[in-house]
Amino acid sequence: MVVIETRNVVKRYQTGGETLTALKGIDFAVEPGEFVSIMGPSGSGKTTLLNLLGLLDDPSEGEVLLDGEDVTGLSDKEQTRARKRTIGFVFQNFYLIPTLTARENVEIPALFDRDPTVEDRSVDLLGRMGLGDRLDHRPDQLSGGQKQRVAIARSLINEPRVLLADEPTGNLDRETGRQILEEFAAVTERDVAVIAVTHDELVNEYVDRVVRLVDGYMGEDAPTATGAAGGPSDAVESAVEEVAGGESDESEASASDGDPEGEGS
Amino acid sequence: MIGGFDRRLPSLYMARRNLSRTKVRSVLAALGIVIGVIAIASLGMFGLTLRYQISESLGGLGNQVLVTPGEDADGSISVRDLREIETVAGPETTVVPSKARSTVVTYGRGGGGGGGDPAAGSERRIVRGVENPGLIYTAREGEIPDPYRSGALIGPSVAEQYDLGPGDAISINGSSTRVVAVLEAGNGFGFMSPSNDIILPNREFQGRGYSQVLVSTESSTVANETAVALRSELNGRRELVQVQDFSSVADSIGQTFNALNLFLIGIGSISLLVAGVSILNVMLMSTVERREEIGVLRAVGFQKRDVLKIMLSEAVLLGLIGGIVGVAFSLVAGMVINHFIVGDALLAFRPSNFLYIGLAFTFGVGTSLLSGLYPAWKAANERPVEALRS
Repeated sequence: MVVIETRNVVKRYQTGGETLTALKGIDFAVEPGEFVSIMGPSGSGKTTLLNLLGLLDDPSEGEVLLDGEDVTGLSDKEQTRARKRTIGFVFQNFYLIPTLTARENVEIPALFDRDPTVEDRSVDLLGRMGLGDRLDHRPDQLSGGQKQRVAIARSLINEPRVLLADEPTGNLDRETGRQILEEFAAVTERDVAVIAVTHDELVNEYVDRVVRLVDGYMGEDAPTATGAAGGPSDAVESAVEEVAGGESDESEASASDGDPEGEGS
Repeated sequence: MIGGFDRRLPSLYMARRNLSRTKVRSVLAALGIVIGVIAIASLGMFGLTLRYQISESLGGLGNQVLVTPGEDADGSISVRDLREIETVAGPETTVVPSKARSTVVTYGRGGGGGGGDPAAGSERRIVRGVENPGLIYTAREGEIPDPYRSGALIGPSVAEQYDLGPGDAISINGSSTRVVAVLEAGNGFGFMSPSNDIILPNREFQGRGYSQVLVSTESSTVANETAVALRSELNGRRELVQVQDFSSVADSIGQTFNALNLFLIGIGSISLLVAGVSILNVMLMSTVERREEIGVLRAVGFQKRDVLKIMLSEAVLLGLIGGIVGVAFSLVAGMVINHFIVGDALLAFRPSNFLYIGLAFTFGVGTSLLSGLYPAWKAANERPVEALRS
């Protein structure tokens, strides 16, 4: 059972006269309730992959499947609808709307729905995030960790199947980062898959598996490795590094993590 | 807002929040619309008030019909024709027939102290005979006798030129007559301005026919109808009378004022155009600043249409606020204009003024909507991937 999947996805960008291939054939699948991190050096295509998974961008080749349904080539309107129904986003910079209260920010994705249960759900979600006493605070009255928890609540308001997080701990100190990761782990208990793109090795203490992207290839598909990609499930298997007991090898991680500053655009 | 969003108009709620985020900028943008609305409304009202004032002071212009002998008449209007004119004109109108004769008039003979007057002299001029001058003229000095049997009435210009007043004597065709009244110049144009006239009682004239008949009606429309009726009733195959009326002149004055009004409103529209550009500028700045935020909205499931609605609501909200404030100020401006031109501030609430105020308001909101279209379209069509690339 797979909730989101890419099949031989290639993404090329046209920059100036040159063609840049950001993803060179990615096969990747995530099951419900799975917590996966995508790691890799700057420019390895992590964010590009996240955008494709989030239906924010279309692949040049290959397909993206949501619940077994091919969503590539859908119109903007259909993609937006699928995104709203299935996918939640959490960003490094939180991206809360400064003029709205915590509760209003959580309700934003359902703003045009005329759904009377939204208010109850937002209060409930913020309560679960430990922000029951911060409902009517504005973002500038909240700490970084609180903001990120509001953002997680926002991403969950439409009860998505997949939560995509772009550097969710990037702007947080280590302790707050842990709290956020624990929230993600709690989210996966409810069968929501969490895919986090990150430089932060701390994340790997909480994930079920780590996927590494290098130069547009995933895991062992990288040019240094031998053997071509097999079927999609094979590729996913080979790309997986089981992380036992939340422990990770710090030295190896820093070696592969070339540029901790963030992804170049 | 307690209890979450205003669920009925979420885009308006978002728009209000966004505008209040940059208060000064929003107020300035709305101020542009305020000025534009005031400009259109008050220039329109100004033109209208000017027109009202002029038509008031023109007074009888257009209310009168002048009947003179036609080509086929024997140089005068017969008594029978006069009866027919009275019948056609109806009881509501004033019909004043008069006669005219060219004769020698000598000033400064006899009377009080006019003896050595340098202006004294004699000349040949037209003297008119009117049966009941009290109906159409008022006296500035002296009194118009009723019934009018003797004495002369003179126009103000004649009185001034020869330094004459009531009690002075003039000689007409050799026989001396006393001046009984100096007439009021009358307001404005029309056929009955008596400033250069010398008027005698009708019975001083021989002959039964009249040289002209003046018909005064209550309005220019009635005057026009009367003129048409007179032409068709009195003139059969032969043209017995010539009928003149001023309704075409009144029409063309009205047209001139319409053109003037359009011109003034055109000038006002330019200021609204400037306001539109300023809203365009504000909205574009706002879409650039909120690029990431709009990207997030798109990522969490807002359709392009939803973003478009929010941005357009902002523009329309600016226009509505500007329009309402502008209308309030325009009413004040209208009262000031009416107070100084017509002397009655409450005339600002004439229905035709509200036409201009409504027009200005509509233009104001319309301009805002138009100016918001491009920024809103731009924001809605930004790809979220680009917007979120930080």
